[in-house]
Amino acid sequence: MSLLLDALDTQLRARAPLIAPVSDLWRSRELLRSFVARDLKARYRNSTLGFLWSFGNPLLLTVVFTIVFTTLLPQNVPNYHVFVLIGLVTWNWFAATVSGGVHSVTGASHLIRKVAFTRETLPVSLVLSSGVHMVLAFIPVLLIAVGSGVRPSGLLLLFPLVVAIQAVFLSGVALLLACANVYFRDIESIVDVALLACFFLTPVFYAVESLTTENTRLMYILNPMASFISTYRLLIYHDAPPAPEFILRMAVQSLLMFAIGLAVFRWRSGDLAEVV
Amino acid sequence: MTDVAVSLRAVSKRFTLRHEGQSTLRDFVLRGFRNPRTREAFWAVRDVDLEIPRGVPYGIIGANGSGKSTLLKLIAGILRPTTGTVRTRGRVAALLELGAGFHPDLSGRENIHLNGSLLGMDRRSIARQLESIVAFAELERFVDMPLRHFSSGMTVRLGFAIAIHAQPDILIADEVLSVGDESFQRRCIDWVHQYVADGHSLILVSHSLSLIEAVCRQAIWMRGGRVAASGDAAAVIDRYHRSSLPQGEGGDSAGPRRWGTGEAVITSVRPIDDEGETIEHAVTGESLRIRIGYLASRRVESPQFGLALHASDGTHLAGPNSDLCNAPIAEIDGVGSVDVVFPRLPLLAGLYRLTVAIYDRHATVAYDHHDRAYELRVENGAIREIYGSVWLGAMWEHRPARRRVQSHPMRTAPSSGS
Repeated sequence: MSLLLDALDTQLRARAPLIAPVSDLWRSRELLRSFVARDLKARYRNSTLGFLWSFGNPLLLTVVFTIVFTTLLPQNVPNYHVFVLIGLVTWNWFAATVSGGVHSVTGASHLIRKVAFTRETLPVSLVLSSGVHMVLAFIPVLLIAVGSGVRPSGLLLLFPLVVAIQAVFLSGVALLLACANVYFRDIESIVDVALLACFFLTPVFYAVESLTTENTRLMYILNPMASFISTYRLLIYHDAPPAPEFILRMAVQSLLMFAIGLAVFRWRSGDLAEVV
Repeated sequence: MTDVAVSLRAVSKRFTLRHEGQSTLRDFVLRGFRNPRTREAFWAVRDVDLEIPRGVPYGIIGANGSGKSTLLKLIAGILRPTTGTVRTRGRVAALLELGAGFHPDLSGRENIHLNGSLLGMDRRSIARQLESIVAFAELERFVDMPLRHFSSGMTVRLGFAIAIHAQPDILIADEVLSVGDESFQRRCIDWVHQYVADGHSLILVSHSLSLIEAVCRQAIWMRGGRVAASGDAAAVIDRYHRSSLPQGEGGDSAGPRRWGTGEAVITSVRPIDDEGETIEHAVTGESLRIRIGYLASRRVESPQFGLALHASDGTHLAGPNSDLCNAPIAEIDGVGSVDVVFPRLPLLAGLYRLTVAIYDRHATVAYDHHDRAYELRVENGAIREIYGSVWLGAMWEHRPARRRVQSHPMRTAPSSGS
């Protein structure tokens, strides 16, 4: 059986260029698990307030945005704090992926020069561990939502699916950035500014629907994060089912991003031990 | 035909030396795809054909910068060959460094999981062997402590114990068999013999020729990236020995040897006093400053300066280098000098030889290496020790019994009491 699988694997590796890295990642799942466990343990051990940090930052921003958009510039969005909290928690996963992903390979240069392992696990494990932070942060979000009179329903069962699709998308982003920063070290210095720009270009503190129809379309196509935030809002805040084709498009976009990230990373991964 | 564990066919590895450090997006945008930056190709390994039979412990020897480590990394799959093919049969574990990826905040147990999975073990086999790993490393009482509280000896013992429990078919080890105290080393060597007897393959790089001779049956000698000799370990080591004697090299006559790529060269090496004047000899236990003058024809980032001290019979006594002494040198450009200071020189009177070298940031490429090219004469000062070659600053303490035995017929040591 395993012989057959090996033979199949060899065949596929030769035919389809992206099979090899995906299969390597799958074989390294134990290592991925260990990396994620390390990140989580190290983070939550160093500060007993570790979890509060994941959640404190979006909470603080929520207070600010709520003050701005309910009293200073009223937006007329009911339960605005729940609305913006969902956006911020989702955004934070993206922000953690981008700012951490940039360093995920260059910061592990020691390991890369000394150990042969599937290097893709470095950026991907970062996405997974910060994904755990996001999922944990959604627990208080739900409590606040319920406390504010928002009543999420069985649609929450779709939540893990969206998280999974977002993880695929973010893995692509992290792979691409991790690899790019090896060759162009100044990427890490422009990342902060780029993140800030993206923050305003993403419907975190405003609703996509408040844009014109044309711009909404454009936003969804150009900015996958808009789709994720909208979907989480549908599930929790609006309690409305997302359209299947919307989910499908999101999944296709994410897979495409993942494929690009993986292809670029694999293309350069043979040189990493020399360059980092 | 014997079973082949590792086979290399016409393997070469070229490194590109970049003289202007890291590339940036800005450079890329400003200069486009044409890359006018000075680049220099350097062949670390050239045309190596090698077959390592299964179950035969194999040694790799050679001077620094001869391509040993590159060869090892090629076999381990960390580097890809520029040309040629590398084939390995079975699971390879490379121990280029013990405990790679250890995290100081995690406990010993958690680090076993982390490091074990880096070496390709799965969760179940780690859990199954955890006790045995801990026992081998003799860390039963400490395994749940964070690693930051481990001594360096404990850390390398743990790293070694994990690595051998990964049960690789091919174990590649770079200078890691000489860790821990003597009894631990004894067990490591015992383990290696058992591992080899079980039909596994071991590839060992070490500067300790005696270790290679004791453990390996076959060996390869690398010189300048090429295979200088291969075959029976004792014979290869013998040839290597003879060639490293001053006359053996046959190249630039007898005398000290010198090599390097020449981006930076050593222009002078002299022991100096506080005023910067050259001194004739150093004095045991007093401070010694050696000034190494250099000339860098280009800007070189993060070079490593190294100094090696040899006894007159060739024994390597010490090898402080700027990186390992935590004194990184950011860059050198043009003319300058670097001082190495020994606050209390621990060498007894005698004649010593010095090797002085400048290497790249990874200590793999020699810019300039002067092998045992300088003499250092040390004379007695206030310190009267004469036996051996090092001064350890030993102290003696006499602890006499509190109560003098009155009836003792003889008084031996002069008593300090009363």
